[in-house]
Amino acid sequence: MSPIPGIVAVNTFREAVRDRVLYNLIFFALLMMGTAVLVGGVSIGIERDVIVNLGLTAISVFGILMAIFIGVGLVHKEIEKRTLYSLLAKPVQRWQFLVGKFGGLVLTLTVNTALMMVGLAAALFYVTRRFERSDGTIVVAIYFILLELALITSLALLFSCFSTPMLSTLYTLGIYIAGVFAPNIRDIGVVTASPVARWMATAVYYLLPNFHNFNVMAAAAHQETIPAALIWQNTLYAALYIAVVLLSAAAIFSSRDLK
Amino acid sequence: MSGGNNTRVVRVALMAVPALLISLTFLQQRIDVSAAPLQNEKPELMLRSGAMVKKLSLGYDPLLADIYWTRAVQYFGERVGLRGATFELLGPLLDITTTLDPQLMVAYRFGAIFLSEPAPAGAGRPDLAVELVKKGIAANPDQWRLYGDLGLIYSIHLKDYQKAAKAYLEGSKNPNAQIYMKAMAGAVAQKGDSLETSKLIWGEVYSTTDDAQIKKRARQHLESLDAVIDLKNLNQTSETYWEKFGHYPATIQELRDAGLAEGKLEDPEGYPYVMGAYGVPQLNPESTIVMERDQQLPQRNH
Repeated sequence: MSPIPGIVAVNTFREAVRDRVLYNLIFFALLMMGTAVLVGGVSIGIERDVIVNLGLTAISVFGILMAIFIGVGLVHKEIEKRTLYSLLAKPVQRWQFLVGKFGGLVLTLTVNTALMMVGLAAALFYVTRRFERSDGTIVVAIYFILLELALITSLALLFSCFSTPMLSTLYTLGIYIAGVFAPNIRDIGVVTASPVARWMATAVYYLLPNFHNFNVMAAAAHQETIPAALIWQNTLYAALYIAVVLLSAAAIFSSRDLK
Repeated sequence: MSGGNNTRVVRVALMAVPALLISLTFLQQRIDVSAAPLQNEKPELMLRSGAMVKKLSLGYDPLLADIYWTRAVQYFGERVGLRGATFELLGPLLDITTTLDPQLMVAYRFGAIFLSEPAPAGAGRPDLAVELVKKGIAANPDQWRLYGDLGLIYSIHLKDYQKAAKAYLEGSKNPNAQIYMKAMAGAVAQKGDSLETSKLIWGEVYSTTDDAQIKKRARQHLESLDAVIDLKNLNQTSETYWEKFGHYPATIQELRDAGLAEGKLEDPEGYPYVMGAYGVPQLNPESTIVMERDQQLPQRNH
């Protein structure tokens, strides 16, 4: 197997660290510390829920912002700085470059998310003074967020292959929002009397990346057990969808005239 | 070399992407089944203090009030009529809504009815309803209808006719108040527990509200009261029948045949009344009119 995507990935990660992307962790730490101290005074009886909900929301929001705003610039920046041409002059294929860029940003997001998880755990321990077995659900919720971030990264990369960063941001954000509301789109089909509308709603439901699948924050806050099947199914779903998006991105990028 | 590779990538993508999308459809169906147990939304309110929410609203409190009001109506709508459903968040939701927007009259009026109604039609908390309406009166002293709502809670749910009469009287002092407020004060003070007074109160609620849910509930009360009045009259006729024939009628038709009753003899929904054991008339089993326990006729045992 070619080591090229791995080399590109490591360099993308280094570049992200150099660009001080991980500075967002300071905001996250401050948010968690502030909440942990204040939560007792304003949320009587549901301190744990507030910490978990806020922590998971922050991990998700920070991650999504990073995935989109860095993701849309991954290809565009290389073209603008003309570094892509010297890279492609070497025995590096375009799809390898894309996969490497994707891997690098996912690696950055994984490190970022892991560090935020440590922050959340610390805040949770400060508030509850103990960890419980059921807190494992929070780890699953964070893993699902990471799958979601990987999928968003692939989408951002896809759009950046043929559009400007501004438009790519809008497209990615649009697809993300539509994907979050995928079940509502399906429900529109259920309540409508028109079979065409029902068919269309169902088709859109299955075609859109279903980001609703990855949201188990409420279950984590209420210490509910997440079905084991859902973990592998969501993993497989993310892997397959990322494959679809990266293949499409590779096809578009490969057929693009870069001269 | 590069051109050939690029073409191969495009070909692979054209073949693989549709196949992967079909696989994803089947996988999504499996995920829907697995995730179904997690989809039950838990009712929760992270911040129960209206004052705190107002501070956090950064000046957008009217908009936030609308959002909370919508949430309150949804919360109520999801649960109303369900067996075993509770409404423990209805009070806090309405409290936050009215703290964010103290002039949101519909929230007070909605709370007055549905916080005080017994389960499963409401939260069964007339104490919270009184608190909410008093808060509304303090913020909107010109809104004389709120005094009417306060009178309703005291007379219908708390059976405190003195306080109810006082509330109606207080409201009637407002120069804009309608004349019935004074009449209501008198009626409640004299015969607060009578069916006629209850009909008067619910009739006013029905004719003065714009809220569809409140209107519907008031209409249900009016229909139920009409049915109670009909059944009481029929029961009296049944007694007359017993005095005349020495036994109770087995059917409503027997009352007609004896010349003691005439007309349609049906409830406001159009279902004919039926005769129960020992000549006690009852609602038709198919009727959806609900009578409160204290409105039901006592059963005879002879």
